[in-house]
Amino acid sequence: MTNTTNHHPDENMLIEFSAGTLDTAASICVSAHLHFCSSCKAKLLQLDQVGSHIMSQAEPVDVAEDVFDQVMEKIDSGIDNASADQATNDDMPFSVNKLIGTSLMNKNWKRLSSSVDIARFKTGQNQFEVALHKICAGGKTPKHDHDGLEYTVVLKGSFSDENAVYREGDFLLRQPGDVHQPMGAQNGECICLSALSAPIVPTSPLGFLMKPWLRINPM
Amino acid sequence: MISSKVRNSSQKRPMEDRVTALNNSEKRSDQWSQLLISVGENRDRRAFAQLFEHFGPLLKGFAYASRNEGWFPGLGDDLVQEVMIKVWNKAGGYNAEKASATTWIYTVARNCRIDMLRRKSNTQHLPLENEDFWHEPDEETPVSLLQQKRSEERVQDSLAQLPKEQDQILRKVYLEGKSHAEASAELGLPLGTVKSRVRLALQKMQLIVSKEAQE
Repeated sequence: MTNTTNHHPDENMLIEFSAGTLDTAASICVSAHLHFCSSCKAKLLQLDQVGSHIMSQAEPVDVAEDVFDQVMEKIDSGIDNASADQATNDDMPFSVNKLIGTSLMNKNWKRLSSSVDIARFKTGQNQFEVALHKICAGGKTPKHDHDGLEYTVVLKGSFSDENAVYREGDFLLRQPGDVHQPMGAQNGECICLSALSAPIVPTSPLGFLMKPWLRINPM
Repeated sequence: MISSKVRNSSQKRPMEDRVTALNNSEKRSDQWSQLLISVGENRDRRAFAQLFEHFGPLLKGFAYASRNEGWFPGLGDDLVQEVMIKVWNKAGGYNAEKASATTWIYTVARNCRIDMLRRKSNTQHLPLENEDFWHEPDEETPVSLLQQKRSEERVQDSLAQLPKEQDQILRKVYLEGKSHAEASAELGLPLGTVKSRVRLALQKMQLIVSKEAQE
């Protein structure tokens, strides 16, 4: 695993992720980042270690007498005995792979603009539109502000905006007031995972040309 | 140094007692990892029964600690059942060099609790289980079992030493499974305060862990 990521989720997000209290859309993005980032994974290991001890501080409660027998019965009957090892494609985060396999809205990319395609996921929540965006080499996206939260994780290739170049694994959180204009790298297409809680807000006077961008489908 | 040499044997006792106590507690904390290894490698039912006896009531308590949306009275025994079946099925993949049995089992329990609450409170199809977020390949972290074990003992001690409000916030987050926003509403604290307090409390505990790891 390489660790060239420069942009990470903040500490509180990792904490909420480790405690399991982060919402689904954000969790997908954090898990995608972890696929690429060994330093966040090491941090998470520490958080899990501390967290497990806090979790074990619960007051013990007597378990019903028949539970042990039920467990042994199920083990013997082979129910739930499925192997934990599932086919993995190491190029992509596990959660994204699974979504691609089971939960794409359409089988193909949909065109958002001449340089950007989108593939939306159904993730069983209604706050964020979770999707893949594909920016073609050198492709420009409209300059925009944000009405809500926008998580982005670069899965393949790279893109840049006014502030920096973002490479595989980089995790970005944009909030209202963060204006930017992402551009695909010249040397190849860029695929990003994103979760958006409100449509982006175009800042250009020709914003009305961006119709497909102006609504989201949280699911 | 010199004074310790001239101490008589009765003054030495407390030190020896401490050493014995430490050894015992190391054995105790390691016992669960050994049992878990035996379940994985030998499908050892007696070891599994011992794990069940120890962790069952703790897991039920863990289920009762989280009265979040989707909670139901049967959650306790259901969670014990689901977690222990997973423990049996996944024990073969347990690596004692990466985590103690406690950490490993609570990672399973946390995911199970979230998924059971979500399934109960959600009518939509949920394509992902919480476990799916934890499938990324493990780091080859060079942490020996001994280090792990010792730092986990320190973790437990340090929890008890935290200021009350830091202990309270960590319990809300990890034990009750409250998001930062929920904790902020329940405690009547600004979100920013919750965030920094959680960070501070965990940093304090991690400092103790890493200090121990360097020793």
